[in-house]
Amino acid sequence: MKIDRKVLLVDDEVEFTVTLAKILSRREITVGTASNCAEALAQMESESGPFTVIIMDVSMPEVNGIQCLALIKREWLCSEVIILTGHASVNTGIEGMKEGAFDYCLKPINTSELLDKIELAFEKVLVNQEQSTQS
Amino acid sequence: MTGIIQWIKEVFFSRHDSALSPEELQAVFRARYRHFRALLTANNTALQAMADLELALQSKQTFSMAFVRARTTAVTVNVYKMVNHLNEMSGGRYRKLENILARINADIDAIVEAVPPVRSGEHVVPLHQVDRNSVDLVGNKMANLGEIANIPGMETPQGFVITVSASDYLLEANNLNPEILRLLQPLDPENLAAVYEVSAAIQRLITGSTLPADLERKIYSAYADLEKTTRAGVTVALRSSALGEDTTGATFAGQYHTELNVDPEFLGQTYKEIVASKFTSRAMLYRMKRGYRHRDVAMCVGCLAMVDSVVSGVVYSRDPERPDTSWCVVSVVKGQAVKVVDGTGTSYLLLVSRQPPHEVIQQEVTQQTGNSGEQVPLDLLTPRQIATITEAALVLEKYFGIAQDIEWTIDTRGRLIILQSRPMVYAEKGEGECHLQDEPDDSSAPPLLTGAVSASAGVACGPVFPVRSALDMLQFPKGAVLVVQHPLPEWAPILNRAAAVVAETGSIAGHLATVAREFKVPAVFGVPDALKTLSNVESITVDAARGRIYTGRLEECIVGDVQQPDLMAGSPVKRLLQNLMEFMTPLNLTDPHSPYFKPGYCETLHDITRFCHEKAVAEMFKFGDRDRLHRHAAIRLVEKNVSLDWWVVDVADGIREGVDLSYKMIHMNDIVSTPMRALWEGISAFPWQGPPSVCARGFGAILFQSTMQPGLDPAVGTALTEKNYFLISKNFCNLSVRLGYHFAMIEAYLSDLRTERYVAFTFKGGAADAKRRAGRITLISDILSRYDFRIDQKGDSLTARIEKRSIGFLQERLKILGYLSVHTRQIDMVMNKQESVDLYKNKFLTEIEQMLD
Repeated sequence: MKIDRKVLLVDDEVEFTVTLAKILSRREITVGTASNCAEALAQMESESGPFTVIIMDVSMPEVNGIQCLALIKREWLCSEVIILTGHASVNTGIEGMKEGAFDYCLKPINTSELLDKIELAFEKVLVNQEQSTQS
Repeated sequence: MTGIIQWIKEVFFSRHDSALSPEELQAVFRARYRHFRALLTANNTALQAMADLELALQSKQTFSMAFVRARTTAVTVNVYKMVNHLNEMSGGRYRKLENILARINADIDAIVEAVPPVRSGEHVVPLHQVDRNSVDLVGNKMANLGEIANIPGMETPQGFVITVSASDYLLEANNLNPEILRLLQPLDPENLAAVYEVSAAIQRLITGSTLPADLERKIYSAYADLEKTTRAGVTVALRSSALGEDTTGATFAGQYHTELNVDPEFLGQTYKEIVASKFTSRAMLYRMKRGYRHRDVAMCVGCLAMVDSVVSGVVYSRDPERPDTSWCVVSVVKGQAVKVVDGTGTSYLLLVSRQPPHEVIQQEVTQQTGNSGEQVPLDLLTPRQIATITEAALVLEKYFGIAQDIEWTIDTRGRLIILQSRPMVYAEKGEGECHLQDEPDDSSAPPLLTGAVSASAGVACGPVFPVRSALDMLQFPKGAVLVVQHPLPEWAPILNRAAAVVAETGSIAGHLATVAREFKVPAVFGVPDALKTLSNVESITVDAARGRIYTGRLEECIVGDVQQPDLMAGSPVKRLLQNLMEFMTPLNLTDPHSPYFKPGYCETLHDITRFCHEKAVAEMFKFGDRDRLHRHAAIRLVEKNVSLDWWVVDVADGIREGVDLSYKMIHMNDIVSTPMRALWEGISAFPWQGPPSVCARGFGAILFQSTMQPGLDPAVGTALTEKNYFLISKNFCNLSVRLGYHFAMIEAYLSDLRTERYVAFTFKGGAADAKRRAGRITLISDILSRYDFRIDQKGDSLTARIEKRSIGFLQERLKILGYLSVHTRQIDMVMNKQESVDLYKNKFLTEIEQMLD
């Protein structure tokens, strides 16, 4: 069984998403980008969606990352979300986990750590798919 | 595989789930194993983050609030994951842990996110109403100045203070705090370019903000009052006075702006610039290095009538380099004192006796030429004025109870006016003892430069690196010698990277000299043409105490330890971390068989990790039900020449497929678990040669310990101690082993993902007395340190970890642990003699090297 190696980057810092998108593309990952929650939801519903893994900044205008995470998990339970926290409180990580985040990374990010977490998230989606097929 | 399925079926589902097919059982088991593996990874990450925090607290390394926040988040999130995984594995049996974790996390959050109380008080206060009790409103510098004004015989400039509640109001009214926090929190102090960028951005925010109209009115009203007691249109000096500044140990010398000769129409804008100077790059870096957060420092501004200075300077009531001597050190400059403290002026130095009539002991020009190339006359002060300055310094030292660093000026009417007084920074006796023991042979290696002013004692060597601009600073390599024209406070951000400092101008009274002493960086100032002379020299040795510079690195001549200062001692960030650790690292749940080993007794995050780990193992392998474990799970390892009782529990893919397990016996050839195979290589590499021969006293000690510590008696069985169990999967291995009187646990996960890989080792106990047991632990610790393990040793227990390395590297470490587990048996009995320790150490190291070859 295979999964779509598709990652959606959601962050209002365009420079960050562009840089990370280049890194991910080199690892044979299809990358989509969004700069806010509304764009992220639209991307998930678009032809290029849904994305298997979503990397989402917590600090975003209007709808923040935790709220957006809840909206995504409500519609796309199979997708895994990794949240990025910068200046948020130490409890933001746990808030994200409670809303169903797969994991978190601190900003400024450690690229290799984030890449590992993305691979683990892919692995989890694959396992979940296998389980649901078996049942 | 049939055997495994059968085991899974009987162990996990013998009572309720027997209707499940073997495939379903396997799927359920694999899901459980995934949670177990994820729990171990989370445990590893949480413990690693805790260890990082503990190390930061114990070492003298500086660390930032961003570091504390990042590691704390790593701990809390991973402990949360552990609780979730344990509940997934156990069908929610430990839900109570969730509430306990939430309570501990709330305590941690309250510490990390504590917001300082709202500071109330007047926005503007006349200086004559200020004293030491006003420090929380006006900052240390102005509180001291107000206090000095009240000492009979002391004069200070007239003026007023724009208080901390005013700067709070300015930031609040313009809603600047959230944006400042957003910019500051992810900032890495090692990334100078980013620090400069953020510094400029925040200063722009503040200087571009709007001064609230009511605050502006109050400032100008106070200024009008000042005009009445001085003269109309009086120009003023705006001096920073930060809260937390000038406390003993952290001087903040020269970190913030002072603006002289400010015309009244620029009062408002200059005030904002001084407030913004809290965020100069050098101030931000200084705060980060010394453990202060943005919120720990608030800016007050003293607005003082300008003094018509004729001569000014700085007086140290003690010699900062030789505090036990009997003289004061007076730096003298024509005009305003700022030229002394920023290192650009031409000054001369007087050593003045502390005893009346305060005669000059020595006089020297510390700087031949300043910016203007002016020559300084050496008779700027009369003997009477020198005595008056010295007396004032001694009065202030006595008044404040500590040696003082005082800025003074003498006006056109001949009055001595004190501009500032703060505790002096000097090397404590016994510190900074590093020096050149034997002077290098002058005939073969004469000093390249001599006669420099010792601004901060010590000796150091490194490559020469001239700095002329901020761009040069960005490229400054760690360990180089900073060579500059003027010792400006602007260079302070790279002091912690510099081995030593050489400046063409400056004196010991400058701000950079103060900070160099604080950071214990050797510094020589007043070295004419240093930039030119050193331009073609690759490396130099700076002997600051003697004021000499030698070509090349004379490391072999340096004696004494370089004393690294604990720059963060007592700082707000260090105190915060100390408070935080109370909720994190103490381990109260140590004995799984104790009646208190329950969720309700978890008081710290470490307790929760310990509990989750223990219960996860129990959930996974059902150790509580030993009969079933024996009957269904454990397989005896049968190997030649290994006498101990070894058993294997395969949790997934650790045994070659197709092996017949019906006889409950297995050979190593059938084991495919990578970590177990590596461990076994170490265990079986050399035969154990039996216990060491001991004297009667050593044997008596063992008997005594056995009676005192029944838990050490191998005959007292626990679930884990009767046999030695390997719990394995293809890339995981946990070995709990009790060899003789000691207990060892080795756990390794050689994941395909590097970030998940680890090898952990716990060793505890022994039969001998505490001293000998500790001796064995030290021996093991020494050996493991050589092989890159991170060691935590407490008494007779030791933990060693190594993570995120290549699989081959970790396999070699497992071999070493396997070897040590067997060969350190009972040697604690002879660990009272150094020759025995050396003998065993040599033997172990030799055999380990042979094994690894």
